[in-house]
Amino acid sequence: MAKRITIDPITRLEGHGKIEIFLDDKGDVSKAYFQVPELRGFEKFSEGRMAEEMARITPKICGVCPTAHHMASGKALDDLFKVAPPPAARKIRELINSAFMAEDHTLHFFFLGGPDFIVGPQAPAADRNILGVIRKVGLDAAKQVIDIRKKLRNVITKQGGRVIHPVCNLPGGVSRGVTKEDRQEYIQTGKDAVEFAGFALKAFEDVVLKNKEYVDVIVGDIYKHETYYMGLVDENNKVNFYDGDIRVVDPEGREFVKFKAQDYLDHIEEHVEPWSYIKFPYLKAVGWKGFVDGKGSGVYRVAPLARLNASDGMATPLAQAECEKMYDVLGGKPVHNTLAYHWARLIELLYAAERFLELAQDEEILDPNVRTIPTAVPDEGIGVVEAPRGTLYHHYKTNGKGIITEVNLLVATLNNSAAICMSIERAAKALIKGGNVSDGLLNMVEMAFRAYDPCLACATHSLPGQMPLEVNIRDPEGDVVETLRRG
Amino acid sequence: MKTLIVGIGNSILTDDGVGLGIAGEIRKRCLPDVDVMEVSLSGIRLLDYIAGYDKLVIIDSIQTEGGIPGTLHELGLGDLGSPGDPSCSHGAGLVTAIELGKSLGYEIPEEIDVYAVEVKDNTTFHEGCGPELEAMIPELTERIAGDISEQRMTV
Repeated sequence: MAKRITIDPITRLEGHGKIEIFLDDKGDVSKAYFQVPELRGFEKFSEGRMAEEMARITPKICGVCPTAHHMASGKALDDLFKVAPPPAARKIRELINSAFMAEDHTLHFFFLGGPDFIVGPQAPAADRNILGVIRKVGLDAAKQVIDIRKKLRNVITKQGGRVIHPVCNLPGGVSRGVTKEDRQEYIQTGKDAVEFAGFALKAFEDVVLKNKEYVDVIVGDIYKHETYYMGLVDENNKVNFYDGDIRVVDPEGREFVKFKAQDYLDHIEEHVEPWSYIKFPYLKAVGWKGFVDGKGSGVYRVAPLARLNASDGMATPLAQAECEKMYDVLGGKPVHNTLAYHWARLIELLYAAERFLELAQDEEILDPNVRTIPTAVPDEGIGVVEAPRGTLYHHYKTNGKGIITEVNLLVATLNNSAAICMSIERAAKALIKGGNVSDGLLNMVEMAFRAYDPCLACATHSLPGQMPLEVNIRDPEGDVVETLRRG
Repeated sequence: MKTLIVGIGNSILTDDGVGLGIAGEIRKRCLPDVDVMEVSLSGIRLLDYIAGYDKLVIIDSIQTEGGIPGTLHELGLGDLGSPGDPSCSHGAGLVTAIELGKSLGYEIPEEIDVYAVEVKDNTTFHEGCGPELEAMIPELTERIAGDISEQRMTV
């Protein structure tokens, strides 16, 4: 009898995704889907507004990564008003973005994705969370996590101008410079963040890399896809979160294309499936061949591991050394193992911290000239940054008076949507056999998507309407024959 | 007794912002010893703000199967799932946050009430609630603010 299993994490206060796994007559997996609810009408909501408002509206789309939206929006507005921010403004923006990347990557590793490893993939559900992490790494470590996040958030609040949704970016610059006193504080925060990142990598090494069982899971075939990779790089092809060109490498690690943000539509197209509200971006030049890996398939990946794969390394010394170590251990570049996203995320945490410190130590950041006033006629603007979850594109068109007529956002996680579906299906097929669906196995299926730190439709904050994680087993007619609840 | 009222929601997703609307109305009443916050945060991200209060009141939106929009659900922390829920990808729920705060030695509010307003549409971009919920904000505010004042009298 064919069965349908639904993993529906409705307990989340933000975001809401669902995994549906269909079993065949033997109880093996025939097909798995990843679905998210649709958020409607952003385009219509934006039309008729003044373009500069977009930098304040778009951060509200998402409660998780408002800073990244604010940055992409600020850059799109520079482009739209044809104005270049003064050097200090550019550096202040990158400083804020670096603080955000470090803060967000910390949260993911210790609170969200990390528990799978630190506590264990098959550990009881009740232990796989930050509390379980504390039991494993100690209370002091938890205090460090909380403390560094607070310091980094403080920078975002101070320079961003508001607690949660920053408002500092204006066309041509930022609204506030850095004072000498603040700079001293930021330098200390930067030093603390670099030290913390080292601590996090050490914890990863001790708990994960020294555990053969975990390493086997990371390098195993269950969590592996050979895809293209995309990320922003500087003029030396090093990873950059704020600026540069978009570089794509093929599954063998060779440069496939490098393009400017303004040309993104020449390189990326979106595929539509009847069962999903989300679209599946792919490389236009390769084409959509379905949810498959390989050089012949246009599926590409973004976010930490993809950024490292798509670059020639890190622009800061400590992160570069860690990056080399990862590729040594995992067998060279590119690494296709999805769970290595966690490792890459920590290397990026170190890079973000080092870059933050470099910027804070740069004298030029004190320059009071932080805004170039736009004088040209506004038309169309495209901005791109690297958000924690991948390359984020903002594209606005206006009517010549700066009033929005069209908006297109290609949000970070969306770039990974095809790969996330593939990863879930592959894990489900490998792990669920003969109808045997245990809590631990389901968690290992979830690990396939948690590695991407997905953030879809994350603006919805409604409380859970039903019990936590629900697993519905359905007969061929779709009737529920059994309901399992956990959490 | 110091009370913190936190309205949670997204102000540009129609009814999702109902908690923000109600919290904003309560703020206008300037209740003594009551602080009000309107945020788009949840779970672990709230932890930084709730320490040091005796009582925490959360006002959020909810969708239940077959629920009638405007219905006010009064919940306790226990209704929000166990701390171990692994399905929170970004939520790392409030229950976990509270447990974490306690283990870190934070002064976590002794009393936590959660008001959840049943909503109709939380997936359409729109500033402010839809007409149905918008019309109910004064009544919902009255009930929640009434509860808070009443409890304060009996303490």
